[in-house]
Amino acid sequence: MENLEQVFNQIVKDYSERLYWHVRRMVGTHEDADDLLQDIFLKIWTALPSFRGEAQLYTWVWRIATNETLNWLRRERVRAALRFQSIDAELERRILADPYFNGTDAQRELFKALSRLPEKQRQVFVMRWWDELSYEQISAITGTSVGALKASYHIAQEKLKLNLSQAEVSK
Amino acid sequence: MTKKTGISVPEGYFAKLQTRLQSIPGQEVKPTAVQKVAPWLAYAASLAVLAALGNFIFGRAAATEEEMGLDYISYLSQSLDPDGQIELMEMPALTEEDDICSFLIASNIPVEQLTELDYEEDY
Repeated sequence: MENLEQVFNQIVKDYSERLYWHVRRMVGTHEDADDLLQDIFLKIWTALPSFRGEAQLYTWVWRIATNETLNWLRRERVRAALRFQSIDAELERRILADPYFNGTDAQRELFKALSRLPEKQRQVFVMRWWDELSYEQISAITGTSVGALKASYHIAQEKLKLNLSQAEVSK
Repeated sequence: MTKKTGISVPEGYFAKLQTRLQSIPGQEVKPTAVQKVAPWLAYAASLAVLAALGNFIFGRAAATEEEMGLDYISYLSQSLDPDGQIELMEMPALTEEDDICSFLIASNIPVEQLTELDYEEDY
């Protein structure tokens, strides 16, 4: 058990900050990212005894984080649907109200456009553009082929450009 | 498109975060999704089986399960194993938000209890 705790503490040390930024870009606000990160590391701790080393630790940790993030987004979508609200509008509202966003209007528009992407496209875009993971790394984490990832990334990039240009025009 | 996002964190956040996360091993572990959901699903499935039986007995077999709003619960009841447990992974019908909403409303299960049903792997 002591050994497991040491491994876990090392995972926290090595991955917590990087995973925070990934989660933050996926969910938008600091408060949500903070809550979700706690759940992710709880999951990692719970699953650690069953880690058999078949995947690299890096891939395994990222896989849990990305799956939990997609689950969170999906739950939020369901919650919004049960309230007859749009999840996109809800995420936008939260981003606008986040006290830990102090970027420019253009950066805010980028975040809003990002929140309007389908979850999986958003995930691929965030992992490639901001987390700077290679397609091969993303493929190992998500189980999606490199070809499909490249296609998703391209579509996401085009949608973001379109959304940003529309936001510019509407000003 | 810029890589700068303008997002920030409270001062000293990451040091506090590490300390907080490293305290997780000393905390009580929450029950797994299966442990949380299984009793609810078993209860919902039991009700569905009783409703279907009642429907059969009282000669209302003409009404379809869908008309009764019990399609998902009845589907789950088919997954009931001899010990009365539900195989959660046998829920391929719950793939769209509308399906999930219907299921939640029909079964009165809080959305929190559907945590981890998707994108869950044998880590």
